Amino acid sequence: MAMLRGFLILVLFFLFGEALRLVFVIPVSGGVLGMILMTVTLMLRGRVSDELALSSQALISILVLLIMPGVVGVFFMASQFSGQFLAVAAALLLGTFLSVLSTLLLMKGVVRVSTRSFEDE
Amino acid sequence: MSELAERFIAIPDVLSASPIFAIGLTLSAFFAGNWLFARIGRPLWMPPVVLSAVMLAAVIAGLSVDYLSYQEGALWITVLLGPATVALGIPLYQQIHHIRAMWVPIVVTLPLAATLAAVYAVVIAWALGATPEVLASLAPKSVTAPIAIGITEQLGGSVPLMMGGLLITGVVATLFVDLLAKWLPVDDERILGFALGLNGHAIGTARAFEISHTAGAFASLGMGLTGVFTALILPLVFRL
Repeated sequence: MAMLRGFLILVLFFLFGEALRLVFVIPVSGGVLGMILMTVTLMLRGRVSDELALSSQALISILVLLIMPGVVGVFFMASQFSGQFLAVAAALLLGTFLSVLSTLLLMKGVVRVSTRSFEDE
Repeated sequence: MSELAERFIAIPDVLSASPIFAIGLTLSAFFAGNWLFARIGRPLWMPPVVLSAVMLAAVIAGLSVDYLSYQEGALWITVLLGPATVALGIPLYQQIHHIRAMWVPIVVTLPLAATLAAVYAVVIAWALGATPEVLASLAPKSVTAPIAIGITEQLGGSVPLMMGGLLITGVVATLFVDLLAKWLPVDDERILGFALGLNGHAIGTARAFEISHTAGAFASLGMGLTGVFTALILPLVFRL
């Protein structure tokens, strides 16, 4: 029961996020708006109820399961990549490699600089 | 006897009309993928999600179930992504002290890294002669699916192509983060989590939660911020 009550809270936040998106024509999904609202609400309340913690953990632990039907789609979409296979493959593989590399180096560099300046103060 | 055989052959067709078939198939593949992953020694280059997806695709093709009708039944699973995204707000809140301590690096890195994630892909594809439609489909490749659909439609790209690119990006981003973490090296799980969410959206975030709760919270943050930032910036940039 506790898990279902927590799930209901998540669903309500999601629906509220969707409603906001529709009313204010925000180019961000209802789920992400709901996530932001959830974080802000919890920060204002200062604590998480057990039922909410329980059902969020349950959902997060099956995140991989939830994205699987979409992942399978890749195998049935390959034909659409055909004419421009090289361009698409290079953009996805090389592009992602470069962007992961940039993120890690940037973040590492900035963390080092900011902790150093923190220690100097 | 032949009637019995005919009815036997018709089983996939009849059963696949109900969503419970897609649910059963997906769950089986999920557990089978995890089992196989453990059996082959948890290799970093082959995440369980890929194993599960390959098996699932093979079964769908083998039973000659229509992919679209599978997708329709699996909607019962995929709709849960909405509330699951909201659920990411809870670890985010629980880890808020870590995030507060890191707010300067996050604010500095995010706009640049999120922009680069789109720019690298678009420039490479453009240099290799991709059409504007393909470019518009590749641009939001690091953005979580619900947001990316909106972006692609706005830019005039193809949604199925974008979804394919998104999924491949998620999987390879996860692999590259694991590899580069060793090579560079980076062992701060806050940085790894952030890179996973920023580049690999929900697939990266799922992987980050396997590393730790902290990495997962940073991945949720990276995914959320990248989604919001890209959704706001990309349509403006593409108009130029």
